[in-house]
Amino acid sequence: MKKAIYQRRSRGVCPTDVSAGGYQRKRNPYVLTGGILLAVLILLAILVPVLSPYSYETQNVEIQNAGSSLQHLFGTDKFGRDIFVRVWYGTRISLLVGAGSALFCGVIGILYGSIAGYAGQKTDMLMMRLADVIDAIPSLLYVILIMLVLGANVGSILLGICISGWIDLARIVRGEIMRLKEREFCVAARMAGAGTVRILRKHLLPNAAGPVIVNITFQIPKAIFTEAFLSFVGVGIAAPVASLGTLIQDARSQMQVYPSQMFYPIVVLCILILSVNLIGAGLERASRLEEEG
Amino acid sequence: MLKYTGKRILIGILSLFVLVTAAFFLTRLMPGSPFQSGNVSEDVLKSMEEEYGLDRPMTEQYRLYLGNLLKGDLGVSFKKPGVTVVEVIRRAWPMTAALGGLAILTAAVFGTLLGIWQASSGKKAVRGGIFLGTILGTGIPNFVIALLLMFFFGVKLKLLPIAGLAGPQNYILPVISLAVYPTAVIARLMQNTFREEMQKDYVVLAKAKGLKPGRTALTHILKNAWIPVLNYIGPAAAFLLTGSFVVESIFTIPGLGREFVNSIGNRDYTLIMGLTVFMGIVVIGINLLTDLMCAWLDPRVRRACR
Amino acid sequence: MNVLSVQDLSVQFHDRHAKGETVSGLSLEIAPGEIVGIVGESGSGKSTAMQAVLGLLPERAEVMSGKMLLNGDSIAPPPYRDGRPQKQEQKAYEKKMQQIRGSQIAMVFQDPLSYLNPTVKIGRQITEAVRVHNKNCSRAQAKVRAAELLDMAGLRRPKESLDKYPFEMSGGMRQRAAIAIALACEPKLLIADEPTTALDVTVQGQILKLLARIAEETATAILLVSHDLGVIASVCQRVLVMQNGKMVEEGTVEEIFYDPRQEYTRLLIERASGLCALTEKKISGEALLTLKNVTKSYHSGRRNLDQKKFEAVRDVSFELYKGETYGLVGESGCGKTTVAKMITGVHAPSGGAVLYHGEELVGMQRQIQMVFQDPYASLNPRMTIRETLEEPLLLNTSDSPEIRKEKVTEIMKMAGLPPEDAGKYPRAFSGGQRQRIGIARALMLRPELIVCDEPVSALDVSIQEQILELLEQIQRETKVSYLFISHDLNVVKRISQRLGVMYAGSIVESGATESVYEDPWHPYTKALLSAILTPDPRTARRRRKMAAGGEQEKEVQYDTGCPFASRCGYAMECCHADRPKTYCFGDRKVACFLYSEEYTGRRSNDYKMTSQI
Repeated sequence: MKKAIYQRRSRGVCPTDVSAGGYQRKRNPYVLTGGILLAVLILLAILVPVLSPYSYETQNVEIQNAGSSLQHLFGTDKFGRDIFVRVWYGTRISLLVGAGSALFCGVIGILYGSIAGYAGQKTDMLMMRLADVIDAIPSLLYVILIMLVLGANVGSILLGICISGWIDLARIVRGEIMRLKEREFCVAARMAGAGTVRILRKHLLPNAAGPVIVNITFQIPKAIFTEAFLSFVGVGIAAPVASLGTLIQDARSQMQVYPSQMFYPIVVLCILILSVNLIGAGLERASRLEEEG
Repeated sequence: MLKYTGKRILIGILSLFVLVTAAFFLTRLMPGSPFQSGNVSEDVLKSMEEEYGLDRPMTEQYRLYLGNLLKGDLGVSFKKPGVTVVEVIRRAWPMTAALGGLAILTAAVFGTLLGIWQASSGKKAVRGGIFLGTILGTGIPNFVIALLLMFFFGVKLKLLPIAGLAGPQNYILPVISLAVYPTAVIARLMQNTFREEMQKDYVVLAKAKGLKPGRTALTHILKNAWIPVLNYIGPAAAFLLTGSFVVESIFTIPGLGREFVNSIGNRDYTLIMGLTVFMGIVVIGINLLTDLMCAWLDPRVRRACR
Repeated sequence: MNVLSVQDLSVQFHDRHAKGETVSGLSLEIAPGEIVGIVGESGSGKSTAMQAVLGLLPERAEVMSGKMLLNGDSIAPPPYRDGRPQKQEQKAYEKKMQQIRGSQIAMVFQDPLSYLNPTVKIGRQITEAVRVHNKNCSRAQAKVRAAELLDMAGLRRPKESLDKYPFEMSGGMRQRAAIAIALACEPKLLIADEPTTALDVTVQGQILKLLARIAEETATAILLVSHDLGVIASVCQRVLVMQNGKMVEEGTVEEIFYDPRQEYTRLLIERASGLCALTEKKISGEALLTLKNVTKSYHSGRRNLDQKKFEAVRDVSFELYKGETYGLVGESGCGKTTVAKMITGVHAPSGGAVLYHGEELVGMQRQIQMVFQDPYASLNPRMTIRETLEEPLLLNTSDSPEIRKEKVTEIMKMAGLPPEDAGKYPRAFSGGQRQRIGIARALMLRPELIVCDEPVSALDVSIQEQILELLEQIQRETKVSYLFISHDLNVVKRISQRLGVMYAGSIVESGATESVYEDPWHPYTKALLSAILTPDPRTARRRRKMAAGGEQEKEVQYDTGCPFASRCGYAMECCHADRPKTYCFGDRKVACFLYSEEYTGRRSNDYKMTSQI
């Protein structure tokens, strides 16, 4: 360890594929693994509820708390509902919340950050102060308050998350734009007659892409976590709609007797979050390597 | 520096103001809230009227509300007559604070050490292992960890207690559950900044002076690398507070988080409002403090007044 | 006995990129009190070799040496086996070197801003160096020693400086602090790797004088590494010339400069002193660009409370004629870049006017384009060369894609770039080529005036020559005018017909380049010219140095008096009280009281003014 502190890491970079848009197209194991996992989960989430003979709410008292079997791959819960189907329904909700919040927060964040960063001075100060004020409050409080008013559904969760979820991204975008806008190639573009929109579109944002993409990617597991958390606590999606969080909460009371009912949704939730985290970590690494190169 | 402090405090106060106002209006909008229908018992309604001036116009209610807040009066619980929010807080806050404090300490210490180890280790296995660990730590939700820990250590192996805060060993599982995520984040942060700093030129000069690597790490690299971590402590506090919701519920600890969750379940709107405001104050306060500390630590900001 | 004796030093990098040795077969010896220079262009391996001596290179660099002796003791690094370092031997070597670094051999690096820890006070950084090798030294004692060292290094207020942070000091002061750190334990050998490259011209001379004094007074051997022959010529006794990792020639400084035996050495010296070719005069007709009393001021502090007006540019006037090259010279912070920004329309002047073709400039003009300093930051890394070059056409003309392609090819050829490279990204090109792309971009709209902001400062000497030639060639073909901004007097002399010298926001002297060079009138111009380190050892030693102490401080505004007065050897009382006006004599203008009527007395109208200094 001691020696390593003095061994400066290689500043060289992996062989670049210059033709492909100047980006590095090196095989990234993290993105690959995460991507495959995520793809599998998405597939199951789409197909299983469609193909399964069971619905997520049909109760069948006779087969309560059954263990895994060919008919019920994950067994049944205390109401006799098929856990397998419920788990993948829940995954749908998680994916919806994740993707939706990433989309909205992404768009808002990029717009807001671009305007603040490019305009600078007073506009920037006002905008960022406003963002600071909104950001000071933990987002969970927003979500809970909104859910209590608007009712517990996917829409209100999305709204709650998106109220302050864009702020981080906006800050990053603003930071990057401020850093880049005085760079000589931007001045040159202005001198060639480029207007604000063109400069943002062609010069500033493409060069800010790295951190922006990473941040948007990480927004997804954050949102998924928030939704599961709220459902678990009892403030989120209400029964009988199955969210992964509700499933876990439902199974908790029977943890000592039928632990598997809790484990299945836990495992799926974890794999979901982890797969996106892996993709994000991989992108982060690629973006960092490209910076150095 | 003074100007900076002033600005930050102003923003903090503004944020609080926004939160407080939002809480005020939202609770009046909530369906089923006592402010809307009148489906509450006589004596409750009476105490509520006293407290909140329900019969007076909205703007007066608002002013009354703000006035009460400034006096430190956060309202009364409407499901539990006679109990004020402040009382609830006084009872529940110490436990949450203890858990949170321990969790942050653990996260800071372990996270920093792991991060440094990751950044400076020559062994691929160590680096890969810690990296994987941080991915898992940031991925697995804290309630999942709490449940798993409870299951394995409490139920199956019966090694550690899983309810209440009777003795020191009661703290172990809840603190771990809370601390895993911040530890992973800090480890990742630390690793990135440490590695960045290691490449810096002044490290070369330190080596050229004849400094030993350990010494260099401490006085030079760590000093610069720790600032982003300190910055993170603010958001971490927010995270721990919300994390306490689940952890306290799972481990049946009568802290603030549990009170909050219960109040939501009970639809005890006034309590919800009061607790929300309090938590907002705590989070904003901690953020402000860490922000100022970071600014003070950076000599460039500190000396800007000269 | 020689302080350092190295024989057959080789460094080989073991990674996918730098295959091949960056240093091979270098041998050198240095005796106590000697100053030996190592000169070579960038990439010649000189810095690598020096770092190898101290063992500062990363693990992937294998260092092999026949012999490496420090005062007779071997400090050779252990050999690699099968291309890998041996752990035990490396550990022992590291331990030994830790003792030696700082106490026997110390090093000073190029850019003190990045080599000093920004969050640690200077005093602490020095006391640390003192105490690491003197275990019994107390903090108080170390502090005293630190103040001593700073004093020795020429810092004016050593005790106060101890409490400062690096960002609070100017470049020259920082380098002196770095030298103080290096001298903390009285090393036998000081290695200085491009110590003056990041500093202003007038400060360079001071630092070199300091190094010479140290060698003389303390018998410390100094290994001075530089690409600048002028630096080498001014203080070194012996010189080694390196190219591509190998030593090309070695000898005393007189031998190398006056009687070089190797072709490469001759080439280097020629280039260094050869940037003096002057171009013919061509002034025609009306002024293309006129600046009239242009001022640019920035406000800091809250309005009406604490307002400090900082004037980056103060009352600047000059004219630029069609087809000529006007040089704007000055050190960093003098305001020349701000002038450039006002001319190109990036900023608007706070006072005065910028006239183009007689009319006031509003915003950016397509007829005025710019070539930037940093070839790496001036091209969008995400756009191909074609896209970058087509952009001005896309935005200003309605040319069809085929016509655009044609134009791009034409301009690329003019700039000396192969047209088939148009599809590549900037990262595929070297610094010199990128600068050509920048020039090509500036030419796309066929401008009348191109502002060149330090276009060659970031390039190697040999490439500089190519780019300057390119600029001249383009001027011959297209009759474009240049405003050439630089801090490098040699470059400006080479390419401009007229020039203006700037100091602290004003033009202190202007006129025909040749005359200003041969016969400077303003004390600052003279200081600047004498600070240029000519690659001629005898002149360097014999030269009478102007007393230009201190450095140009950016933020200090002298509301009263001439800004140069505090550093001027000819300052009179009036210089501290009033600002001199600009006095015109034909095409020569000077802003110095020495040329005012009160001082020189009334002369007849056709009296030909000469230099008063």
